[in-house]
Amino acid sequence: MFTNNENAARRIRAQRSSSALWIAMTALLATFAATGSLLTTTQLARAETATTATVELSGLVRPNDMNSGALLFPSKELGYFVEAPRLKTDVQIDVSGPIARVKVTQRFQNPSKGWVEGTYVFPLPDDSAVDELRMQIGDRFIEGQIKPREEARQIYEDAKAEGKKAALLEQQRPNIFTNQVANIGPGETIVVQIEYQQAVHQSGGEFSLRFPMVVAPRYNPAPIVQSVEFNGGTGFAVTNDPVENRDKIEPPVLDPENNAKINPVSLTVNLKAGFPLGEVKSPFHDVTLTEPDAQTRLIALKASAVPADRDFELTWKAAAGKTPTAGLFRETVAGRDYLMAFVTPPATQQDNAAPAKREVVFVIDNSGSMSGPSIEQARASLALAISNLKAGDRFNVIRFDDTMTDFFQGLVPASADNRERAIAYVRGLTADGGTEMLPALQAALRNQGPVAQGALRQVVFLTDGAIGNEGQLFGEIDGNRGDARVFTVGIGSAPNTHFMTKAAEFGRGTFTHIGSEDQVATRMGELFGKLEHPAMTDIAATFDQAKAENITPNPMPDLYAGEPVVLTAELPQANSAGKLLITGRTGDQPWRVEMSIDQAAAGKGIAKLWARRKIDDLEASGYRVNDPQAIDRQIETVAMTHHLVSRVTSLVAVDVTATRPKNEPLTDTDVPLNLPEGWDFEKVYGEQKPILPSPSGDRDASLPAGTLQQVAMETAEMMAAAPTAKTASLLAKRSVGVNLPQTATPADRHILIGLMMMLIALAAIFWLRLRRASLFRRG
Amino acid sequence: MSMPQTEGRPMLPGRLDRFETLIAATAAVIGLCGLLFVGHGFYIKAKAQLAQVLLARSFAAELAGEGPSRPWPWADFTTAARISAPRIGHSAIVLAGANGETLAFGPAWLATTPQPGDEGTAVIAAHRDTHFSWLKDVRPGDRIEVERADGRTMSFVAGQGRVSRWDENGIDIAAHGKHLALATCWPFDSTERGPLRYILDARLVEPEQAAAELPAS
Repeated sequence: MFTNNENAARRIRAQRSSSALWIAMTALLATFAATGSLLTTTQLARAETATTATVELSGLVRPNDMNSGALLFPSKELGYFVEAPRLKTDVQIDVSGPIARVKVTQRFQNPSKGWVEGTYVFPLPDDSAVDELRMQIGDRFIEGQIKPREEARQIYEDAKAEGKKAALLEQQRPNIFTNQVANIGPGETIVVQIEYQQAVHQSGGEFSLRFPMVVAPRYNPAPIVQSVEFNGGTGFAVTNDPVENRDKIEPPVLDPENNAKINPVSLTVNLKAGFPLGEVKSPFHDVTLTEPDAQTRLIALKASAVPADRDFELTWKAAAGKTPTAGLFRETVAGRDYLMAFVTPPATQQDNAAPAKREVVFVIDNSGSMSGPSIEQARASLALAISNLKAGDRFNVIRFDDTMTDFFQGLVPASADNRERAIAYVRGLTADGGTEMLPALQAALRNQGPVAQGALRQVVFLTDGAIGNEGQLFGEIDGNRGDARVFTVGIGSAPNTHFMTKAAEFGRGTFTHIGSEDQVATRMGELFGKLEHPAMTDIAATFDQAKAENITPNPMPDLYAGEPVVLTAELPQANSAGKLLITGRTGDQPWRVEMSIDQAAAGKGIAKLWARRKIDDLEASGYRVNDPQAIDRQIETVAMTHHLVSRVTSLVAVDVTATRPKNEPLTDTDVPLNLPEGWDFEKVYGEQKPILPSPSGDRDASLPAGTLQQVAMETAEMMAAAPTAKTASLLAKRSVGVNLPQTATPADRHILIGLMMMLIALAAIFWLRLRRASLFRRG
Repeated sequence: MSMPQTEGRPMLPGRLDRFETLIAATAAVIGLCGLLFVGHGFYIKAKAQLAQVLLARSFAAELAGEGPSRPWPWADFTTAARISAPRIGHSAIVLAGANGETLAFGPAWLATTPQPGDEGTAVIAAHRDTHFSWLKDVRPGDRIEVERADGRTMSFVAGQGRVSRWDENGIDIAAHGKHLALATCWPFDSTERGPLRYILDARLVEPEQAAAELPAS
């Protein structure tokens, strides 16, 4: 009886403990499964966004990635665009001395059966601005006119509302031309002609210019949302791709060879160097070259091969011993003289001089906005800069958030010991707190003692520029800089580039942008090159006798090895005489050059170049003036006079003629017979005679039959065309915008997980008590 | 299962066998972790609410003409506006610049968009479970008032809400006219972070228009 009883109790106990074990195990597993699934879903969401940005495939493009002129149509994938088929591109570059004037004519087609609003994108070189815009959309011709921004906007909106063809160009970013083109009808042909000019780049006696031709990266975005359908309770399901026929959306990948055939380009350069020419070459493209005389060359692109992965580049040198070290050009516009002068400082002096000693003050921002990858990049960049100092240099490190620390309390020699201490300090910095930049800047500019004889004082500023008191900071740099140069290093993916570029300009230094960890070494390397080898400092220009109302750039930036001084000026009257005096300093040695204005050669486009630079200077001076509207008015006056697009003036294209009867269709071979005067679109219509004979023969012979049609079809397939013009503008609007931040806190999830875990723990303890209670009773 | 009749009876630790100790220890660890999680969750919510008190003070100082001030010395942001929805009786202080730090303390105005009431579309975003938990209750036609740091109060009228992806939201910051877009995460009651956002579009009621409409309503 007793034993029986005991056996039974033991059996029950065993049963209970095993069942308890089961419950405990299941509870644990459930917890892990719950946390696990929560983790994986967040990871999946993260992975999804990552792939969207990286998958690179032919087809869809984004406007910011465009490296050559193109007309973009909105695609079915939000945020992405499709390139309109380029039927023909003609480029004509006229180089006259130091200025190149470029005329680009491109013909596109709307291959779809619907209406679209397109965006014409063209990346511009630095310091250039589009001043002419002519377009043909279907059978209408429109021409760009410079108007004040508000007025231009009004004209455009009115024209659009009336269903007219219209285009508006506003300055968004300085160096990209983007132009909205409204009301493109089904199958219509669009011809865009823009003109711009740029200064010829000079470095080390070599002259060069560039024309953008690189094909932009293509995207195939990852699925947007996957829906899962469970059928029949089997637990298995198929995920549906919301984009139907994704395999059809992926067009054939364009290799450069095919691209050249599909996007035919003709390019001619009329090079009038102004001096006897030596070597002229195009490093990446096959060209034909003719020599009418010693100072002139005609260059044309060979039709056979146009690699789409390189920009067109042309470089030229003077004949041996004829390299010009100075030049002076003049253009007279509306009773005023515009001058452009360039001088290459003698290179020999700096070779035998020992590199100047440097005094570097590093200022690093470790405020809260720098947290994450930004502070890591800043720490890495700064450590690299410190380790790069030479034994004879002196340096200091200042860090700031809403407080600041002057690490060495003044400049110290860059001994191995000091450098190590500073690097260790920098590596230990964490990002937190507010951004109070002014005290740190004052400490860097004012409290570091006098500059030693012959030394270079440099302030290197690492920040994301998330500040509000720009004007105050500009004032501080401008007023208290002394002999120091201020170099700004922008950290993170979206630093305040406006502030940092301007701060560097006021500080006569340069702006370096570091967007990711892998850019640290190369970009900082470039900066070190400049920090260590300034060729010429304290450059100033004055006019003797002639009054110089406006010399740009102002102030003149320092020069680095091989660069010339390039300045432009406006003189109050035509045919001025007098002398231009340029002074500077290489190391300890003063340097001066005199030029007689009356000996200036005639040049074209100098007035526009001056105006563009004058606008930049006016923008920069904005902080000093209390009345920003006065600056706006000055910029407007300059921009309107010289027909330039700026922050306050826009190019609005209005319908100038209705040359073609409505019923008459426009076909590919049609040349418009009655173009408005001064318009030359012939080169992109039909087959015209090439300016220079091309020995490689007819390109079209090698074109695979139907390729163009195929591309047109693929494009039409991807486009989001609308049935009417009005809906087209709505479709276009959808494609531009901002990214929204993550707006869910983990609070609710944490509370939920926490409660679940506490519940499990309570259940376990409760069970334990239960079990012990029964044991007590029975045992 | 019999009802426990052991309340209060002593259980000596020494009498726990190894298996029981393991269960007890695991339960203790899980329970503690749970407590931490719950604590952290409530901390986030408490921080969001408490910060608003300090921010309101700082914004009042800014309106009084003391210039952009920091709500507390180590804050890395400034206040930009006060947003309110009078019908449902909610308001919050909006901070300038949207990043993880600002969003933890209040709604954030995206600094790359125009100021509310200026030409274009201003965007204000906030967390769905704290400052914009009321966004789902805003009905089309409701007034949304934004008092800017310069003292001007802009009145917007809410339109329809919509749902879209964070990077494909159809907001045109350069749109013609004066618009405001309020954004928060969607779905509202989800506990996971996701790519979808709820966006409420609103357009400015011009002052003269507002004056004309007021007596009518």
